[in-house]
Order: sequence, then structure tokens, then C-alpha cells
Amino acid sequence: MTEPRQLIDGVILIYGTHEMSISALLLLLAILAAFGFFIGRQKIHLQYKKQSNKARINTLPKYFGYVAGLAALIPALILLLVLEVAETPWINHQISQEISSAQLPSGDDLDLFLNDIKNASTESQIAALSDEKQIIHGHYQRIVKTTQWAKTAVVLALSVLLGLWSLKKINTATRARYLFEKTIEWLLLAAASIAIMTTVGIVFSVFFESMRFFGDIPVVDFMFGTEWSPQTAIRADQVGSSASFGAIPLFVGTMLISFIALLVSVPLGLMSAIYLSEYANRSVRAVAKPVLEILAGIPTVVYGFFAALTVAPFIRDFGESLGLSVASESALAAGLVMGIMIIPFVSSLADDVMSAVPQSLREGSLGLGATRSETIIKVLIPAALPGIVGGVLLAASRAIGETMIVVMAAGLAANLTVNPLEAVTTVTVQIVTLLTGDQEFDSAKTLAAFALGLMLFVTTLVLNMIALYVVRKYREQYE
Amino acid sequence: MVISMMNERVAELNLGIDMTQEIKQNGPDDSGILDVTYSETVGEYQCKDAKFSTRDVNVYYANNQAIFDVNLDVGRNEVIALIGPSGCGKSTFLRCLNRMNDTIDICRIDGQIHLDGQDIYAKKQDPVLLRARVGMVFQKPNPFPKSIYDNVAYGPRIHGLTKNKAELDDLVEDALIKAGLFDEVKDRLHGPGTGLSGGQQQRLCIARTIAVQPEVILMDEPASALDPIATAKIEELINELKENYTIVIVTHSMQQAARVSQRTAYFHMGRLIEVGDTNQIFTNPRHELTEKYITGRFG
Repeated sequence: MTEPRQLIDGVILIYGTHEMSISALLLLLAILAAFGFFIGRQKIHLQYKKQSNKARINTLPKYFGYVAGLAALIPALILLLVLEVAETPWINHQISQEISSAQLPSGDDLDLFLNDIKNASTESQIAALSDEKQIIHGHYQRIVKTTQWAKTAVVLALSVLLGLWSLKKINTATRARYLFEKTIEWLLLAAASIAIMTTVGIVFSVFFESMRFFGDIPVVDFMFGTEWSPQTAIRADQVGSSASFGAIPLFVGTMLISFIALLVSVPLGLMSAIYLSEYANRSVRAVAKPVLEILAGIPTVVYGFFAALTVAPFIRDFGESLGLSVASESALAAGLVMGIMIIPFVSSLADDVMSAVPQSLREGSLGLGATRSETIIKVLIPAALPGIVGGVLLAASRAIGETMIVVMAAGLAANLTVNPLEAVTTVTVQIVTLLTGDQEFDSAKTLAAFALGLMLFVTTLVLNMIALYVVRKYREQYE
Repeated sequence: MVISMMNERVAELNLGIDMTQEIKQNGPDDSGILDVTYSETVGEYQCKDAKFSTRDVNVYYANNQAIFDVNLDVGRNEVIALIGPSGCGKSTFLRCLNRMNDTIDICRIDGQIHLDGQDIYAKKQDPVLLRARVGMVFQKPNPFPKSIYDNVAYGPRIHGLTKNKAELDDLVEDALIKAGLFDEVKDRLHGPGTGLSGGQQQRLCIARTIAVQPEVILMDEPASALDPIATAKIEELINELKENYTIVIVTHSMQQAARVSQRTAYFHMGRLIEVGDTNQIFTNPRHELTEKYITGRFG
């Protein structure tokens, strides 16, 4: 066992008198866990040796080691996480306690005020602070140091105590494999919940910001308004900038471009998938499939300038030769190029699910005198439908969320039109234009971005639900 | 594993073991075991009124030859059983008869296979139309993931066999009745075909084949995935179908061959060893290998 004295020396060595670093604490915890593991394993190993009537099969000593190691590690880590989260509010609270409230601003400004102090770390920065703030800075430094020492001490103490306790408790009768198995289960659950929690977090943050926006602008105006011009008057006497936040043109633009993209990608993707899985011989397939998937790896900005510099002028010239008036940036150009981009999403998934349809179904159909194409249309596609719909849906959400191609090739003008030859803009493009550059985060203009995000999220959610319903209703189950 | 089991069985019966030892020493690829005894097919392979007539058929999978110089006629409205140990080429031979092997890239076929005097491998022969005339039932029931009705109506719809819905309904009902399945499914014709039991699924596949009104039905071990009761039903069905169809059935079960067929052909290592009346094959085999196989000394 490690001497407590040595341990503390180690802590002081690593932390010194400087700010504690979280990585050093984690390293210490890892070392403690490793000690727990080795000692626990050794303890059981010795106990097994002493046993006179050995069972033929025993739990391996390493599992007892894992139990001890994890007991030293996991609760301490959780405690550390909780303390990290609670640290800032605690420090703020302490500062407000120590300093008379008259000196401090209240509410939102407190954070701003404290930020100045917290950010000052070098001598010159401290010197630049006002006298008043310099005094508070002194307090702040002290509070931070004590808090962090306390945090380190508590976490390490918990680790050591639980480690020792588990080392004392474990014996050959402990169900170490079961405990280890349970820990793994919880670990996997935690991993899965991180993704879920993140999604929930994003939804909530978008939701609350949107609520602030809807405080200024009525929901109905936003959802059913047909004019989009988010420029607000900054000064009261400014002319010509009465903002209007009707999202309809943006959604129509998004739908128009996505529709064109799907019109291109679904037939092309499905047909190439059918060719690859049913007709192509092995060598063609070996080359064609990866090449097709490279399409998905090309950065969208490259597609963007391809659309803007090659496709859009071509469409304009071609349209003019037919006597049509075509905008130099058109929904058609963006949609076509986006369609090409998402072909692999459709084809790759469709190819996989069609290849997964059992050979016996193909033979059954061919054996009745069906041709290959009849077999594909009447047996394979219905059997593979859920996967195909999944691929199309993936492609659709890619199309709806795509930004770069549209910025470059379809323009920024929020025209309410379904004419694919005119310039349109999409929800994502507007979110980008609203949030880039210096923005104040309490104006309706900026908050509109969150409302758009929320609407977009709801739209894709509804699309997903419709697709799920379609899949469940029309799927043909094969064994 | 198989060899050791075989040896045990041979030892138990206290019979001559030269042949099994030959197999063990030379492995299945070696034809040495045949050179001694095989010169040509024993028995009458020709028929007076042949539906199918095959001459000098050789089949290769890439560089491996699977079938060697097979000559065999299939008589009109007869049930012929193809028997033999695993890997003897009987299924491969069966799949040549409706050009199902065309779907395998590496498969190559020589020789002549005639259906009603027409070369089915001729350039102008459309394999799709051939398969409509020569239906096939597979080893594992493979109903489409569609309703029972749609499974049976699949072929008639593709070939445009009926003029209207009423005719199609009649055709479907008729096929299901002939396959002995109608009474069991008449209340759920629009339920999924995959929801039936294994034996019912296989009869559905037979109904599906009958619905196209083929001239010949090829069956590739149609009962091997089924329990004895379902097997009995399939065999009963084959006995009824032979009134109207020519049937070629591959089977692993010698009892089944004896029960359903009029003629039996015994394959061994890609060669047709003996062919003759089923009664004669099972009571009085003329070739040594046939005798050993049907008495259960290997296989």
C-alpha cells in the first residue's frame, strides 16, 4: 500500500503552488485505480492459493482487481464531474458573500463584471484593472485556490476510501464477474445517454431561444408570413428597415431545392444501386461502388463552386437560348448539384438492403419465368423497401440541411416562388447569414435564427415520422 | 467425420470395406473408385415418348467439372427421382433443365438438352419462356413476402395468363386447390404467405408453380426442410400432380423416391450410374454402387 505521506507529497509535487490542473487529478485517480486493481488481484490470487479444496472453475483474480479499481475510480469521477459543474456558481456565490453587495452589480451584469476579474491572469492585465477590481481579484484568487484544494482533497479522499473499503471487502465469495458485468452495462448505458442528452440539450437550447424570439414576433406572423427581410432598425430614426419575419419564402425555397435534389438523386441512386447489386459483375462492382461513394466525400464547398461557376451559367445560357429568363443564381442549379451530391446516400443504402434480400427469393421469381427486371420491381424492391425509404430519408435530411451549395449557387434573395429558374434562399442559408459577423444576441434578427432552427428541426422530425409510418405499413417481411 | 461414421457402419455390418477405404484414401475428387466399375450408365436411359432428352451433358463450375457425360430421358407424365450422395451433381443436373444455372456466372454447360425435341440451350431459346414451361420448387420454401393470393397470382400476372380479376381469382383458387392448400387458407388469402407453417409454405410454392401451368415441374429436395407429416402431404400431392405433369424430383430420401417415382436415376460423383424402373432399382439394382447406396452402406 502507498504511504499516505508519499501520496500527499505527490499531490503537492504535481500541483505545486500553482493552479491545479484537472489532468493531473485524473492521472492520480488512474494511478489509484491501478493500485486497487493490482492489490485486489493479488489478494484474491493469494486466497486461491491457500484454498485446500479448489473448485475446478473459479472467477479469474483479475475480475476482483477490476472491482477494486473501479470502486476507486468511478464514484470519484462522478463526484469530480458534479464538483466541476458546481464550481463556478460556488465561486461567484462566495465572492458576493465576501464583498458588500454595494460594490457589485446585480443580475446578468455580475457575470460580466466577474469575467473581467477572472480573465486577468498576467501581471499587466491585473495592473490594468481598476483599484476596486484589483481588490476583488485578490479575493477571487484566494477563493479559487481554496475551492480547488478542497475539490482535489474530497475527490482523492473518496477514491482512496472506496478503494480501501472494497479491497477489504472482496474475498473469493464476492461475485466479481457479476459486478464487473453490471459496471460494463452501466458504462454502455452512459455512453448511449450522452448522445441522447446532447440531442435533448440542443432541442431545449433552441427551444428557449426561440421562445424569446416569439416574445417579440408573434408565432403566426413567423409561420405564415410571406415576407422575409430580417434587417431591423438599429436607431429609432432609421428609415426603410422595418423588419418582417415571414418564414414561408425560406421554407418554400428549402422545399423547392430539396425536391429538385431528390428528383435527381432518388432515380439515379436507385438505378445505380440496382445495377450494382443485380447486374454488375464482381469486378465492375469492386470499382464502381467505392467511386460512387467518393461523391459523398467531396467537400460541399467544392460542389458549391461547381454549381455556381459551371452549372448555373450553363443553365442560364441554355435557358436563354430557349427564350426563358433565368436568374444567374437559380434554385435549379443548386438543386441539380445537390442531387448529384446525395446520390451515394440513396445508392449505398439501397444497394446494401437489396443485396441482403435472400437469393432464394430471386430464384423463386426467376423459376416462375420472371425476367430479372420483373424480379427486381415485383420482389426485390418491395422486400427492400424499408431500407430504400431509409436511404431516401437520409438523402432528404441531407438536402434540407445543406447550406454551402445553396449559398453559392441559389443566392440569398428570399423570393416566394416555386419557379426553379429564379433565385431563392433556404432556411439554413438564412441561419448562417443571421449569425455570422458581430451580432447582438438579444435582437429579434439574431433570435430569428433559433426560431428557424426549431422549425427546421420540427420539419425533419415530421418527415422522419411519416417515413417510419410508411415503412411500417408497406414493409414486406422476409425470413 | 463422415468417413469415420461410414467405417463404423461398415464394420458393424461386417461387410466388404474396399470401396469405403478407396474413398477415404483418394478423397472424393478421385475417380479411381469408378474406373474399375464404371464404363457407362447401366439401364435404359432412353424413353419412347421423351419430354426431356439429354445427351452428353457436361457441367463445369469454373475449372471443376460437376457433371460427366450424362445421357438421360425423362418420359412424358412420369415422375423420375434423381438420387445419390451429397455432391453427386443431381441438383446441378436438375438446374440445367430450366437453365437456372444461367444465373451462376462461372457455370458452363456442354451437350444437348432437348425439351419436346427443341434444344433449350439454342441461341434463339428465351430462358424466361423456358422457365414458364418448366417450373421449379426449391429445397427451402421461398414464398415471396407478399399475400398468399399475390404469391400464387405472381406468375399469371407476369405472363398475362388471365384477362380479368375474376379469371385470376379462379386461377389462384384452382392452383391452391390442386396444391391441397385452399381449405387451409381460404379465409386468409390476403394474409402474408410467410405467416404459414413450413409445410404450408412449400405447398404455397407448389401452387405458385402450378398457377403458371407449366409442362414440367422440377423439385429440388422439396421435403427436406419439412417434418414427416408435412412431407407426407407433399408426397401425396406429387402423386396427384403426376396425372398432369412431368415431374423431376431430386431427393435424399430413398423411401421418398420409392414412394413417388416410376423411374429412378442414381448419380455418383457427377456420373449417372444407373437408371431404371424404381421397383427394379430398389429391389434388384444392377450396379454395385447403386446397391451399396440403396442398402445404406454409404451416402
